[in-house]
Amino acid sequence: MNRRGLFALLLAVPVGLVGEEAARVVKMLPIPAGDYAPPLRAAGEPERVAVAAFLLDERPVTNAEFLAFVTTQPRWRRSQISPLFAEEAYLHHWAGDLELGPLAPGAAPVVRVSWFAARAYARWAGKRLPTTAEWELAAAAGFTRADGKNDPELARAAQVWLARPVPSILPEAASARPDFNGVRGLHGLVWEWVEDFSTAMVTGESRADSGLNRDLFCGAGAVSARDPGDYAAFMRLALRSSLTARYTTTALGFRCARDLPAHTSP
Amino acid sequence: MKTITCLLALLATAIAAAPVGTPKEDCCKEAPPPAGPISARSIYQLDAKFCADTGQCLPLATLRGRPVVLAMFFASCGYACPRLVTDMQAIRGRLPAELRDKAAFVLVSFDVERDTPGALADYRRQRALDGAWTLLHGDQDAVSELAALLGVKFRREPSGNFAHSNLIAILNAEGEVVHRREGLSGGLDEATQAVMAAATRK
Repeated sequence: MNRRGLFALLLAVPVGLVGEEAARVVKMLPIPAGDYAPPLRAAGEPERVAVAAFLLDERPVTNAEFLAFVTTQPRWRRSQISPLFAEEAYLHHWAGDLELGPLAPGAAPVVRVSWFAARAYARWAGKRLPTTAEWELAAAAGFTRADGKNDPELARAAQVWLARPVPSILPEAASARPDFNGVRGLHGLVWEWVEDFSTAMVTGESRADSGLNRDLFCGAGAVSARDPGDYAAFMRLALRSSLTARYTTTALGFRCARDLPAHTSP
Repeated sequence: MKTITCLLALLATAIAAAPVGTPKEDCCKEAPPPAGPISARSIYQLDAKFCADTGQCLPLATLRGRPVVLAMFFASCGYACPRLVTDMQAIRGRLPAELRDKAAFVLVSFDVERDTPGALADYRRQRALDGAWTLLHGDQDAVSELAALLGVKFRREPSGNFAHSNLIAILNAEGEVVHRREGLSGGLDEATQAVMAAATRK
């Protein structure tokens, strides 16, 4: 479906959309099995982690989709959400509880959502959040080749985005350039929640505390990375490690994942 | 007025951390059972279900109405978790006698695979934990959400053990976190006082 067609569909079914229907609107694309090399590892942890093939949303969840969610799930509305599940800035840029307004175009990625809210949406849609390993595996694809490591365009896209302030009105989620797998916006649109974000800083050495030495996470940490292209991965690691589950920030959204049918438990 | 006097008396008791209660405490012991909607800051909003080592599966809100001393742990943990349990026992020992069985002592396992209700029942026997203790097993979703609510970070290591933050959380009768004891040293008096304060508030 082209961009216009997708947008038209979103406009056509804005409210009263139930989870399964919403899940059908976004195309889910298969991400082939592969492995993920965490930028930092606990002692004894293997250098690469195998990741099974899975399905990933073609693009991040949009404002219009999230509006459909809060419309049917009142406890996740801005005025009703528990302070335990999201900080005050939750959906702050929306015009109202059930009104997007000029700062939140329907087709733009939803941001200012907490991990709890992102998870609740995913469950409502019959999906789940991707794990860090899954997300990073998908993000390792280049624009024109399966392995983005040697794709200079990809590294450039990621770094240009990191250097730029986040616009106050985000572009359409479906407008981002598709990568080799057809997935859009993994680089250069918004940061995205992952299921296990909170494990980013926990290592065997931090048993008595909840955080690793912060010194390791200054940008200079990337200097010793195997590959300068890892810079964006370090930035994502640093971001994840700084989050708590109720945070909502202006450039943090999410997309959903699902097991491949063969792996779905009955 | 009588209530206020009583609360003040209890507060004084709490500050002194006296192990023996004063007779005036009787006036507050019978708090009405909690009713109405769950508070917006209550972790009992979590609708995840946990299964106790007794085999009963219940939402956390079953604990509503009592002060709770809660920690996340895993049974095969050789270092920090036994100390957490020992510290919780120490908190219990410092409580006035009538609170020792009123407060709930809850352990929730990170280890969704190995710490089945049966494994937790074994742990209860090994550690000789009595009826004041509730040992809970949850699925991955339930455990992740509870940990996120409490701000407990954990991660499974290749060895099968878990790296985790050490937290003893004190909840009031509504399930609101009223005190956090982080780390593995000190803070037991403060935690004990938090339980006593939670028990006296309506």
